Amino acid sequence: MPMQNRPSGFANPWFQLALSVAFVTVSELLLKRGASDTANLATNWSWTGINSLASPLVWWGILCVIASFLSWLYVLKYIPLTIAFPLSRVVDVLVPLSCWIFLGETISARRWCGIALVVIGLAVVAKPVARLEERL
Amino acid sequence: MTFLPFVFILTSLITFVAGQLFLKRAMESTTAGGNGHPRFGSLLGAGIFLMTISFFLTLGLLQRFDLSYLYPFQGLSVIIIAFAAAIVLQEKLTLQLTIGAALISAGIVLVSIS
Repeated sequence: MPMQNRPSGFANPWFQLALSVAFVTVSELLLKRGASDTANLATNWSWTGINSLASPLVWWGILCVIASFLSWLYVLKYIPLTIAFPLSRVVDVLVPLSCWIFLGETISARRWCGIALVVIGLAVVAKPVARLEERL
Repeated sequence: MTFLPFVFILTSLITFVAGQLFLKRAMESTTAGGNGHPRFGSLLGAGIFLMTISFFLTLGLLQRFDLSYLYPFQGLSVIIIAFAAAIVLQEKLTLQLTIGAALISAGIVLVSIS
């Protein structure tokens, strides 16, 4: 396991994981805005989402996706998928919260419970990792 | 939920999971044997191709549904990827990791059926 001899600072894979998550959250908001702006459900090709490319917001979203993708590739180099992927789902907390704050979408009581469950799951995954890090 | 959206959601999910496995394999190959691993290009290409399919299907779905409803379906990928990584990539999957991944998936599903 190459977790012992990994770089620090900007090149730290845990920092890159956080960066990747931040880019994903921003990209989802941009893509939703852009896709909604250009929605034309009547055309035959609309299921492919290709007409979303008419929106500049979608292109900014794509840039964020690429940035998050590069960070993610770097993460994969150092952290096992069984740990990195569950932790990356902190976006499933950040995205609904951002939808609520920035897009004015509503969050029901059940949805809040789901978000709470995700947070607990994240803590369960992160705890042994944090212990591992302390020892190093 | 009607049938067609379900097919598109499922397809975007499967291509996403498969893509992640290919990418992990590709990046692992860069640490294992130094530079110039012969399979790096094709593994990375396959991963990116699958992720691209998943991406455009997701855009098409976004035009029809709220993001906060749609996006969490990808949450099922947490538990699927944890098992897939353990089986296909032979990563160590502890009980605690499994429970954590299951809780995250359950939470995300709960969010998505609201």
